[in-house]
This record gives sequence, structure tokens and C-alpha cells, in this order.
Amino acid sequence: MTENETPRIGVFVCHCGHNIAGTVDVVRVAKEAEKFPNVVFSTDEMFMCADSGQELIRTKIKEHDLTRIIVASCSPRMHEPTFRRVVEEGGLNRYVFEQVNLREHVSWCHMHEPEAATEKAIDLVRMAVARAAKLEPLPIKRVKVIPRTLVVGGGIAGLRASLDIADRGFEVVLVEKQDKLGGNVIKWTHMFPSDRTGTEVVEPLIERVESHSNIKVYKSSRVIDFEGYIGNFEVTIESQGRKKNETVEVGAVIVATGFEAFKPKGYYGYGESPDIVTLDELQAMPRQDLLLRPSDGKPAKKIAFIGCVGSREPGKKGHEHCSRYCCSAVAKAAADLRDRVDEALVLYQDVRTYGRGHEDIHRLARQKRVIFSKFEPDEKPEVTVTDGKIKMRWRDVLADDQLAFEPDLLILASAMIPPSDVEETATMFSLTRSGDGFFNPEHIKLAPLTTHTAGIMIAGVAQAAKNASESVIDASGAAAKAASLLARGEVEIESTVSRVDPDLCSSCHTCVAACPYGAISMDDSDPPIAVVTEAKCHGCGTCAAGCPSGAITMFHSTDEQILSMVEALLVPSPISGGE
Amino acid sequence: MTQATTKTTTTGNDWEPKIVAFCCNWCSYAGADLAGTSRIQYPPNARIIRVNCTGRIDPDFILAALEMGADGVLVSGCHPGDCHYTSGNLKMQARWALLRKAIEQAGIDPRRIRLQWASASEAQIFADGVTLLIDQVKKLGPLRGQWR
Repeated sequence: MTENETPRIGVFVCHCGHNIAGTVDVVRVAKEAEKFPNVVFSTDEMFMCADSGQELIRTKIKEHDLTRIIVASCSPRMHEPTFRRVVEEGGLNRYVFEQVNLREHVSWCHMHEPEAATEKAIDLVRMAVARAAKLEPLPIKRVKVIPRTLVVGGGIAGLRASLDIADRGFEVVLVEKQDKLGGNVIKWTHMFPSDRTGTEVVEPLIERVESHSNIKVYKSSRVIDFEGYIGNFEVTIESQGRKKNETVEVGAVIVATGFEAFKPKGYYGYGESPDIVTLDELQAMPRQDLLLRPSDGKPAKKIAFIGCVGSREPGKKGHEHCSRYCCSAVAKAAADLRDRVDEALVLYQDVRTYGRGHEDIHRLARQKRVIFSKFEPDEKPEVTVTDGKIKMRWRDVLADDQLAFEPDLLILASAMIPPSDVEETATMFSLTRSGDGFFNPEHIKLAPLTTHTAGIMIAGVAQAAKNASESVIDASGAAAKAASLLARGEVEIESTVSRVDPDLCSSCHTCVAACPYGAISMDDSDPPIAVVTEAKCHGCGTCAAGCPSGAITMFHSTDEQILSMVEALLVPSPISGGE
Repeated sequence: MTQATTKTTTTGNDWEPKIVAFCCNWCSYAGADLAGTSRIQYPPNARIIRVNCTGRIDPDFILAALEMGADGVLVSGCHPGDCHYTSGNLKMQARWALLRKAIEQAGIDPRRIRLQWASASEAQIFADGVTLLIDQVKKLGPLRGQWR
């Protein structure tokens, strides 16, 4: 297809079952689309992403000699890759595809206004048609993948991921900020559902990692600089005690930076007595025959646990999530310690021992006469400390009775929260975070281990609060993702980069300062001209917006393409089916 | 025509403002997606144009939209410090101050444009921002009428 040819646009409007068609009059949208300029074919279809819908696109491309394809369906963040592939199978370039979001942005958020929603849908399709006419095929670029993976974090997830990749025959660079491997798990005395200590669980992994010929471990180290793109990242590692920073090249990255146990200042007297500790702190106490309380080293005879400390608090940013490990961990610790104390009490909002074998732990705790007492979320137990004595008062929901207890040791099952340096990590690897502060996956259901930064995977608690077994599952999954990328040897990269027109460049250096990636430099000519290093360009378009001479084209997001949408919305030409 | 008479002639009950919304792909577009997934309901006046980064938004785009008859323009991006491209949103923020001035000097009420930050998880913040702008613009009346 040459540039001068008139575009032949095909529009496919998706019902998404009832999801879109239940609110938006999709038949009318497809009918209206027929009238828009350059549209030669328009139809509606039950499910565009299904095999039948995909086949419809391929068939109609041939039948009507279509050169631009628009699918009006769900969010492009969901199915743009699917439809780009279909368009390619139909013989077109993937960049002549345009998706309209009629589901997330129309039908689902205007459910009670079908008329207005349909008008909005028609506007959005008209805008997409205008943009589609301006779209250009772009070259598909392939680059080699450096067969090495960076794993950030040497906890149980990072260890498992490193081993999986190394056993698959690829090199791994493992960076851990502490001076030893093992993360949080190695500190803990009780693991569930097995009866082993954290050390017993991770020590074999650590031994294998440290002796593996494919794994290079950097302890007391941090990644201080990171650049590049999928398959070709450059990582700078700073290590304590080493004068020179090291630079390594990797093709993939797994971020397994884990969590910190929340220090619940302001909750239940935490900090007022050495005998009020978090579950994490209890787990780190040496395992011995008697449970000794921190204040005076005497055996604790009466102990109490409180659940959901800093977890499941609606409206409190960073503390709204369920931390998922605490119910089972509390049940396990209470059942274990019950043999060494006279009384053990667990105060809870809910008990969710959901994992395989975890219900047995809960049952065991109850069989051993651990007392479980439920409190209301908005009626939290009161804890006071007087003269070193801990007093608890709360209302038991099931008995509707006011109760009191004086434990020798109070254990707070505190939340898993992201580590304090999570923001640095997010910035370093261009990761976004969810409301609770953990890293966002590419898709919560369909792509939970990859991120929106191509080539970067997340595993374990870095992604969301979870227990050690689940972290290990993540780790193996992320390792499989990384290994499959490395095994391919080559990868396609986005062609959406910017380019400077040397005839228009006025040598002002604005773009050089604007580029967040240092991808633009000035050449040696006189006057110097700005040049984009395409491999370093991430396609944000900040340079194009900043250029005062209009010399920069941001491919697939050109000024013309953007303004054509604005124009199609606000001043549609009479022949374009507008008012 | 004075502003007051414009309002009486063009702001009947049937007038609905046209809003152009530029959203960055990584935070606010995703936030808008989540608003849909969460079935958060908000007024249907805004038409979202997806850009990679708010840093991509040339102030000319906003001026052009107002010139072509948009009653309001929304720019929604990642929170400062959370930009997918490190700092594109900060570039937009810097341009915004100048843009507001320019718009004001052109005689347009700066309440017709809104810059907001909404992350991929802040669906409610996104929807509230859209609603707020629409309410503001509704009070101001149609921009077209004011110019004539």
C-alpha cells in the first residue's frame, strides 16, 4: 500500500455478549460507521475476539480489500495484541489497526444512559475512523535477546526463579541488598503447612544457588542504573565494599523484591511494652522449649494473638488489602505454642485458612483448645499497658459478651507491606503500583507475572501479599516467562519511536533536555541537528510535544493522528456523518 | 453578545458539554478501564484520546480542541514520580502553568481545563475528576456561545 492510496477502512463493532450490546445500540453504531469517510465495510458481531470474529476480520480484509481495520470492543490494553496479530494474519501491517473502547469506557460506566452511551460510542468510532485514515504501516523490528536474566531480590521467590532459569541452561545475575540470601523466610521459626523452620526450607535453595555455575550472586548490592529495552538491558550494580560498580547486560529481568512486615505503631499498644510483638518478630525469636517473654526472660504462660493488624482497613491507603498469610500463620503459631503455654487466645475479624492443608492447621489449633474469639471490624479490641501489664478488652461477636484477658505476650499479625525502597524500584524498572503499593501485573487474570514494561517480570510478594508457597509458584512461572524469552533468541520490539526531520530542526536542544532516556543527541554538523537513537527511545513522545519547530514525528502518535480525532469529534465534516 | 444572553440562548436543559480527555496509556487510561470494570458510573460527556504519556500532549492540542469547540479539556496522567516514562508527566505539568495563563489571556475561563493525576488503581479518582470538570463546565456554559 502506498501513501497516496485512499484508505479502505473496515469497522467491526463487538457486542461482547451483553456487555456492550446491553447498553450500547451496537447495530446503530455499525450503521452510522458506514457513513464515515473512507469506511467501505462495517458490521457488528457477537464476539470479535472469538475465533469466528477473528476469522471475520481476515475474510473481510480480502473480500473488500481493506487497508485499515477498526475493532470497537473492549480496552486495547486487553486485546490490542490479539487484533494486531489477526490483522497481520490477514496480510496487513499491525500498525494499521485501531481499537475503540466501547466496554470499559462506555457501556460499563454509563449503564443507565443507553442513548448517551450510544452517542458516545458513535463519536469514538468516528474519531477512530479519522485516525485510522492517517495511520501508517511501520516496519517490524527484531532484535537479539541477551541470554542472561537479572533477578532482583534473594528471598525465596528470587532463589527459586534463579534456580529454574539456571537449570534451564541460562545465566542468572542475582542481586540482593542484604548481606545474606533467604529474605524474610530464613528468619522464621515456624512455616506452614509443613513443620519446618524457614532456614530448613530455604537453606537447600541457597546452597544450590551459591554453587550453581550459571548463577552469579551479588550480596550487599543494589541496581543503581538500568536502561535498555526487552532483550537488551544494561544493568549497573553497586556493591558494598567494592570500589567499582559493575555493568552487566541481560535480556530479561525478574523483580522479586518481596515485602516488609508492617510495624504497627499506634495499634494495640505496639511499642508500649516489649511483650507486644508482631508475628514476624515472634517468628524471629529463637526456637526453644519454653516461650520466653522479651521483657524479663520469664516463660510466657498466657498468650494472645490479634489478626488483621494493618490489613483489611477500608479507606486506609496501603492497608486495604488482606495480607493472606496471617490467618494460617497465626493458627500454626498458636497450635505450636499451645503446648508450651497454659492459655492461647486468638482475636480475629475473620479466619480465612484457604490454602491446601491450611484448614487442618486451624482445626488442630481448635482441638488443642486455642480459644478463637471474633470481634467486629469497627469495634477493635482495646489494649492498655499499665506497669508492664498488658490488659485486653473486647466484645465477642458470637457470645455478644464483653470479655477481658491479661496475656504475658501479645502477638500482632501485622500486614505485609511493600519494602521502604519500593518507590526506587518502581522508578528504576518503570513499574506501576496498585493501591496497596505492590507492583501491577500486565493483566491481573491473564498476565499476572509479566508487567507493562516488556521483558520485566514480577514474582512473589512484589506483586501482592501472599504466602511462601504461592511466592514459589510465582517464581517458577516468572522464570518460565523469562526462559521462554531467552530461548527464542530474538524478539520483536515496538516501532513506535520518534524521528527528527533534519530540515526543520533548529538546533535548540529542547528535545535533548526533554527525553527521559537520553535517547536524543546532537550530531556533529554545523549547526548541529538532533538525532534519535531508536534503540533507546521508549516512545513517550515528550520530545515531539516539546519541539518548537515541529521537527519531530512520534510514529503511531503523530500530531496529525491526534488532531484528526479532535477534529472528527468537534467539527465533523457533513459527509462524515456528523450533524 | 454578552455572556449572560449567550447563556439564556444556548444553555437549555438539552445542552451537554463536549469534553476532550487526553489520558496517558499507563495510568489514567488504565484507571478509566478500571472505572468501567468496577462499574463506577460517571457522566458520558468525555471522549478519551489515548496517548502514551501526558508528556506527549502538545499544548497546541488543547488550544486546538478549545478552538474547534470543546467546552472543556481534561488531561489525566500518572502521579508525579510514578510516570511510566520517568518524567513525561512533569514536562506536562511545567507546560500546564503556561497554558493556563495563555488560555486566561485569550479570555477563556481556566476552569475549562483540568490537569489531574490518577493511577491505574484510582478508578474513583479518575471518574470524580471527569465529573468535577463536567460540573464546572456546565456552570460556565458552552464555550462556542461565549466567543460569538
